[in-house]
Formats: sequence, structure tokens, C-alpha cells
Amino acid sequence: MIDILLIYPLVAGLLIFIIKKRAFDVFAVNSYALLHIVISCILVFTHDTYLSSVRYFAIDNTNKIFLLVLSVVFLMAAVYNTGYIKHMKHEEKRIRFYMFLMLIFIFAMTGTTLSTNLGLAWVFVEATTLTTAYLIYFNRTRNSIEAAWKYVFICSVGIALAFVGIILLNISTDRVNSLNYAILACNSFQFDPFWMKAAFVFIVFGFGTKMGLAPVHFWLPDAHSESPSPISALLSATLLNSAFLVILRVLRILETSGHDSYGRLILLVMGFSSLLVTAVYVNKIKNYKRMLAYSSVENMGILAIGTALGPAAMYAVMLHVIGHSFAKASFFLTSGNILELYDSRRVSRVSGLNSIDRKTGWLWIFSYLAICAFPTSSLFISEYLIIKVMFAQHHYFMCALFVILLTVILHGFARVVFSMTFGKVAEDKEEQVRENRKKLSWCMYVPQIILLTMVFTLGVYVPPFLRF
Amino acid sequence: MENGLIVIFGFTMLYFAATGRLAAHIRLLVWQGLLLFLICCTEIHKLHPGSFIFLTLETLGVKAILIPWFLTRILKKHSMLRDEAPGKPHFFSLLIASLVLLAGILSQNWIQSYPIISPIHFGVSVSSIIICLWLITVKHNIVSSIIGFIAMENGIFLLSLSIAKEMPLLVNAGVLFEVFLDIFILGMFVNLIEKEFKNLDVSKLSELKDSGND
Repeated sequence: MIDILLIYPLVAGLLIFIIKKRAFDVFAVNSYALLHIVISCILVFTHDTYLSSVRYFAIDNTNKIFLLVLSVVFLMAAVYNTGYIKHMKHEEKRIRFYMFLMLIFIFAMTGTTLSTNLGLAWVFVEATTLTTAYLIYFNRTRNSIEAAWKYVFICSVGIALAFVGIILLNISTDRVNSLNYAILACNSFQFDPFWMKAAFVFIVFGFGTKMGLAPVHFWLPDAHSESPSPISALLSATLLNSAFLVILRVLRILETSGHDSYGRLILLVMGFSSLLVTAVYVNKIKNYKRMLAYSSVENMGILAIGTALGPAAMYAVMLHVIGHSFAKASFFLTSGNILELYDSRRVSRVSGLNSIDRKTGWLWIFSYLAICAFPTSSLFISEYLIIKVMFAQHHYFMCALFVILLTVILHGFARVVFSMTFGKVAEDKEEQVRENRKKLSWCMYVPQIILLTMVFTLGVYVPPFLRF
Repeated sequence: MENGLIVIFGFTMLYFAATGRLAAHIRLLVWQGLLLFLICCTEIHKLHPGSFIFLTLETLGVKAILIPWFLTRILKKHSMLRDEAPGKPHFFSLLIASLVLLAGILSQNWIQSYPIISPIHFGVSVSSIIICLWLITVKHNIVSSIIGFIAMENGIFLLSLSIAKEMPLLVNAGVLFEVFLDIFILGMFVNLIEKEFKNLDVSKLSELKDSGND
């Protein structure tokens, strides 16, 4: 079944270029999204572990949540995308390439998530960089060229450094000549601690670049804000998770060898740096899509901090992965509606959203409430549990810093979100904005409603399969 | 013989640091590709025949021929001769690169305690990676940045040769394919940036700020 997940997008991608019909492009992406979620559910609910025929891919307890999140977000982004591309004025060839790369992007993320081999995961993570370069550049503006260049170059250098980490890990393994996670974890007690720690530094900086952890996050605000909204949603809600999963797996190898405290310290520093960077920039933000991108930096920081706290906070971390992915996907997709309506990313040019399009206005508000951990958002539970673990471990100063930084960030977001939602639309723009409203179809609202429903439901009820 | 080749590889990094002429940078990439091929040849007795064919393709085919040819085309297309305004004077870059390379070579004594690692490979490759990271930071021309990235990949390749065991062929093939694609995509962006910004200075790519844009 894993084979189908990985072969289908390649075949469908090829057919897109043979058939050359917009309807087929949409069908290819949507059918893959449906197939992805069906197979993911079967794999997650019926198997504890499941190995693909080539043994390089498997589903296990660590990646099943990541696979499910990827499937759900992809399905929602695909539904939204159906409405989104309807009014695109670009030439057919360009849209075809966009749909093709979307399939390949999901293929690469699925490969990263299911990979049982660190080297192969590296190859797939690099593949995500190459496929998304065009997607970020899709609008072909000066800004999108700049964003795509920075993205490709910074991530390539970061991923190259991650490969240095893999080589150093290979040095530490001595006689064990494998990059299989399970084999590495089983034999980690005999690895050289010095090289293993050195390897982790490179791996965490390399994959951390892709994950958007400060201080190696520079590409993220530009790339996320310049790409088309469904792609921004996929970048933020799934790509960052894929890189996080690799870090998590390598940390587990350190954990089984008993040298994880060093790795956790690095994650803690990077996590707090991410919160600090967001707190500093979010209060002077003037572009609402950049604000969402900084929110991703913040949430990746929270994941890093939670992971640094050890196994006690792992449940909270997993809940945060799910909550953040769903809430952020909803936030980015709603920002796509706003961009369609106002044709601007500037906060100052958007006002009276609620009076123009009540559905988008409320989705914007609820996405904000979900991401800022307002009860019953699942992020409230995850952040509360992280704080609780900090208390239990007597990290009072860390806890205070965490709460203060989150409050500052929350204030920055609230300022932007409320100024955009309420008030009056500028008179000279009102007619144009009302005209633009016709571009928004039902499939540009429903995915966000489903995602937000899941986020707020998970805050009061966590299904048994998510109770790790 | 092998040690001599590795030291020459280290010296190519100094020339990288000392010159701003882009054509010379590309010639150095060709030399690095050839040196890496010869280093692989000295280890032929340790390698599986399949691996040797793959490494020959990688070093000679991609690193010494394909990538330099592609970069030369870009230079000719944009009539570029040199990195006009590097962030730091060449002398300063040369000094830093020399110190880093010296530190890399001196680190051999410490590395010798690890039998799995070849000390000279390790010292020179790590110093090459650090020098390239430095050069990427100080060079302002986009093509210089790409050349610095490729040289860093060469340093990483040398590092992978420093350990007495092979990476799985699947991983090696994936890495090679992606590096090639990466450079191809970066090269395409050079054309786009030149067309849109009429300049290839990295510092000009600063329109995206937190001050807001449409």
C-alpha cells in the first residue's frame, strides 16, 4: 500500500503532461489526495508497523501521526486548490506544471515521512526544496523570484550541512554500516559519543533550516508569504513537520545511547530563539502572510522546546504538531481568500473584512483563536501541558520566559487580525472588493471549517489512537 | 600520492579565496573534479566496481565537465568577468582561508586516534567546507555564491571519502542527482534574477522585508 502512495503521484504527474486537460489536472491532484487519506487511515488504523515491499519505507509509531496530518492537510489544500485555480489567469501550461509539482511535492513529503533510512530521508527533503522552488516562484513577480532564490539557496546550504551530519554519524557508528533508523537506535550504545554529538549539531542545523527554527529560519517568512496560498498551507503545515520528524528520529538515536541531554539543550536554545525572533518581528509586521509565516517559526520553536523537555512532554508535542498543522493550514487558506478579495498582502490595505465577506472574516478570527491557543483549541492543551512539564521539572524561569514571549506574540497577532476584520472598507476599494468576492466558491471555505472543527474538537476529545 | 592530491585540493580553496575572476573559479571547479577523481582512483582497491563506475561518473562527468560547462554558459550569457564588490577584500579572505586550512591540516594529530578516519582527508575537507561557507557569506555575486556552494559540495564529497566505509549506493545516487538538479535550478534563477533585477548582486535582493509588500 505504501508503494501505491509513492507510485501514484509519479504516474499521475506523467499523465498530466500527456492528457493536457485542466479537468484531468484537478482530478489527478484530488484523486491522489483522496487515495492518500484512505491509505493513510488503513495503514494507521490496521497496522502497528507496516513495511513497504522495498523495505526503505514503513509506517511505525513515530511517523503515523505525521502521515495522517499530511493526508488531512493535503486533502483540504487540494479541495481549496480546486476553487483557487478556477480564476487563475495564467496560461494553461503554467497551471499544469503547478499541479504536477504539487503532486511531486506531496510525493517527496510522503517519502520523507515514511522513510526508514536517514540517507533516503535526506534525499526526499532535498527533493521538497527543488519541487517547491517553482511553486514559490509561481506568481513570477520580483518578490517571488527573490523569495524562491533565498529559499533554494539557504535550504540547499542547510541540507548540505545536514549531509555532513550524516557522514559524521556514519563515523560514530564504527562497524555498523547502515543508516536505517531502527538499526542505528539498536546499536547506538556502542557509538562514539563525540562524533554522535557533532553529527547531531549538523543535523539539527541542517534539517532545522528546513523546519524554520531560528537562527536559520531566514527563508521562511519570504517563501511562505510569496507562494500561492494552498502551497503556503502545505509548506507551513506539512513540510516543516517532515523536517521535524527527521530531527525527532535522530534525537531518538541519541536517546537510546544516553547522550540526548546535549541534543535537547541545542533544541531548547533554538526553540527559545525562534520564540524571541517572532516576538521581536511580529509587532512591526505589515504583511499578514508574513505574520502567518512568523507564527510557523514560533510554533516550530514550541515543538523544539517541548521535545527538549523530554519524554514527559512528548504527548504535548504530538498534539501540538496536529493542532498547529490544522490551524495554520486554515489560517493560510483563509489568507488566500483575503488576498483574492483585496489583492494586497498589506495589513493597512485590508479592513472591514467582516462587512465584506462574513464567512472569511469569521474564519480569519477563528483561525487566529485556534493558533493563539484559545480554549478549546488543541493548542491550548498542548501548550498547557508543556508549561505543566516545565513546572514539574522546576524550570520556573524558562516557564516565565515561555509565557511572556507567547503573550507578546499573541498581542502582535491580535493587533493585525482585529484591525483587518473590523472597521470599514475604504470607499474607493469597496466596489472592487465586492466584485472580487464572486471569485470565492464554496470550496474556498469548507476546508477551513473542517480543519478548525478538528482543532477545537481535539481540545475536548482526543480519540484513542492519538493517545500515545 | 593520495596525500599530495588532497593537499593540492586544499590549495585550490586558497585560490578560490584569493581571486575574484569568475572564469578562474570555474576552472578551479574543473580541477577539483579531476583531483577528486584521482583521489578515488588511489582507493580503487577498496571500492566495489559498481561504486567506482558511479564515482567516476560523479567526479569526472558531473563535477569536472557538466557543472563547469553549465556555469560557463551562464557567464557567457551575462558577460560576467569577476565578482566586482566582494564583502571583504581578497587579501582578507585569503588570510582567513589560509588559517582555516592550516588548522585543518594540524588537526591530523588529533584525528589519528580514530582509526576509521583518514586524517588528511578529514582535515582538508572540513577546512574546505568552512572556507566555502565563509566565501558564500562574503561574496556578493550570485554566481560566486553558486560556485561556493559547489565547492562546498566537493568538500563534503571529500569528507565522505575520509571514512573507511561506503555510503549506500542508493543514497549516493540520490545525493548526486539532487546536487545536479539543485545547481541547474540555481542556474535558472540566475537568468531570472538578471532579467528582473538587471543585476546579480546578492545585496540587491532585499526587497522582501517586514515592512510590507504586495
